[in-house]
Amino acid sequence: MKAKRKVTTSTVVRRGGVQRGPTPRRKASSSVAGAPPAAPARAQANAPRRIEAAGFRTPPPPTTEVDLSVDLGRGLVLANPILVASGTFGYGIEYGDVVEVDRLGAICCKGTTLKPRIGNIPPRVTETPGGMLNSIGLQNPGVDAVVEKYAETWTEWKTRVIVNVAGESVADYVEVVRRLDGVPGVAAIELNISCPNVGRGGLQFAIDAGAAGEVTAAVRRATDLPLLVKLSPNVADVRPIARAIADAGADALTAINTLSGIAVSPSRSKPLLGNIYGGLSGPAIKPVALRIVYEVSQVVDIPVVAIGGVTELADVLDFLAVGAVAVQVGTAIFADPTLPVRLVDELDGECRRRGLRSYAELIGTALPRKPGAPSSKGVEYRP
Amino acid sequence: MRLVKTELVDSREILPGQWLQSFHAPHLANGSRAGQFVHVRTGDLSGMVLRRPFSINTADPITGTITIHFRTIGRGTEWFTHLRAGDSVDMLGPLGRPFEVDPRSRHLLLVAGGLGMAGVRSLADEALRDGRQVTLLFGAASAREVYPSSLLPDEVEYVIATDDGSVGHRGFVTELMPEYEAWADQAFACGPAPMLAALARLAAGRRERLGVARLGRKRGGGKAPQPGSATARRKAFLQVSMEQNMGCAVGACLGCVIMATNGAPQRVCREGPVFAADEVAWESGW
Repeated sequence: MKAKRKVTTSTVVRRGGVQRGPTPRRKASSSVAGAPPAAPARAQANAPRRIEAAGFRTPPPPTTEVDLSVDLGRGLVLANPILVASGTFGYGIEYGDVVEVDRLGAICCKGTTLKPRIGNIPPRVTETPGGMLNSIGLQNPGVDAVVEKYAETWTEWKTRVIVNVAGESVADYVEVVRRLDGVPGVAAIELNISCPNVGRGGLQFAIDAGAAGEVTAAVRRATDLPLLVKLSPNVADVRPIARAIADAGADALTAINTLSGIAVSPSRSKPLLGNIYGGLSGPAIKPVALRIVYEVSQVVDIPVVAIGGVTELADVLDFLAVGAVAVQVGTAIFADPTLPVRLVDELDGECRRRGLRSYAELIGTALPRKPGAPSSKGVEYRP
Repeated sequence: MRLVKTELVDSREILPGQWLQSFHAPHLANGSRAGQFVHVRTGDLSGMVLRRPFSINTADPITGTITIHFRTIGRGTEWFTHLRAGDSVDMLGPLGRPFEVDPRSRHLLLVAGGLGMAGVRSLADEALRDGRQVTLLFGAASAREVYPSSLLPDEVEYVIATDDGSVGHRGFVTELMPEYEAWADQAFACGPAPMLAALARLAAGRRERLGVARLGRKRGGGKAPQPGSATARRKAFLQVSMEQNMGCAVGACLGCVIMATNGAPQRVCREGPVFAADEVAWESGW
């Protein structure tokens, strides 16, 4: 156990060194969150390779350390590619000693809005075959309370905390992000754009390329924090939306949010959930998530973080194969809180078994080979 | 709170469709209090993605066992009935906040409706151990669903009400409450929400009717204690154990909330499941 832990936390960092976007301004905050400083780490990783290339020495014996680190852009370097999904892990403190928080790649915290929200009328959750429906309604104490209550704790963790942000208007998103910008302990932003845009008749940002691009661009202007944007599966074709978000300056995409659904009460007299509609998650939606990651990873040059029904290592490998660079675990945490940390170990073990230096060699293996111009993503993430 | 591997010791169908299962779980038997619950994982991991919450029905520190009591209402509970002695079961617990008995309370009134028995059952053991007197009012649809008195400690006074009058008082269990409100120092209830709401209405006017001083009067009026705090419960005449569809059971997912009188949703898994009756906004429609 101890040896493995060392692997996941000490190995670093970015392969290739292709820098997208401006150099991170926020050096301070990234070192606060516990990532090793980028420059010396890169030198370390490159040093033996340079010697090897010059032919001074025979190739080093197969390394015992597997590189699980992942770069999601703009300096957001995670120790491993297993994240916990927004809404399933609270603010990181709820599971207490049951989960070794520091061994997670990152924590996406509960969706945060400008003002406090009390959320939807219960029942808010129900189990469905192979999944669950939830309609929490973004209950949260508001961004200021979140920062005051939790940010200090986050600075003490090695694990990076990605704050999930939701809003009802572009101005909402921008204001929340402004208040998070520069807060120690906040490593990145994940935009939940599956919210109704009140200014546009309640249409979700996520289902319209224009609106999705607009909110991404506005947030991009408001912060230099690494920016992930979470795609909704409830659209006919997600690719133009993904492209618009990437063009607007997002550093990475998260795919996918929940699928819209309903359940009926046992008496059949009304829909079961207090809010009528809920979001479907869990193993039931994995094929949908795979399809969307497969489609999106081929049309954007930024990293894609997959989410949807991960319950075992095979699911992680599937998502990597269709082009994801990292994976979020969500609903499965409720049944098995220790799953994410175990997946880190199992991914490490899988790489050793296959003799891989880095898990990055598992990425994109199921994507069609494109003879055309290679994307920067191809350079960086594909074997 | 800990993740523990437990082992099924005994499984019995005590009433039609109602099961009592006993598990070897020393950590839970020793470390839990009446009113707390466990979140239990089903073995069918392909279809059922959520754990199932159960009140700790009884906890025996000497043998290191706990029991749970449930009715088969779906695939999850059905799965549990197929467990055999020796089977290993994964539990997360103990979870939630317990009942709080005022140290000066000598007479405890427990009120249970149907499966609500599981919510208050272990408080009977705890109270008797502390030398208090316990009366348990129990309501069910008919004699067929009445919890066997052989499964209760001898010292408990057991009073039954059935909807059809097939045994005991004919009518709702809440109708028995007024007879005992003067005798009882504190009351503790678990059952269907309408039953709890009715009890809360009865309890609200009690102090005026009896003209009794409020428990904890010596400390003076002071400020109202925080909802969910141990003090709020200890000072209350009536404490209720609430139920709600649950996801994580540790306070992360915010799935299991109820509305409180202060206008803020409270998590049944974290601030509850035991609340002071006057903390719950019964008429809120939540």
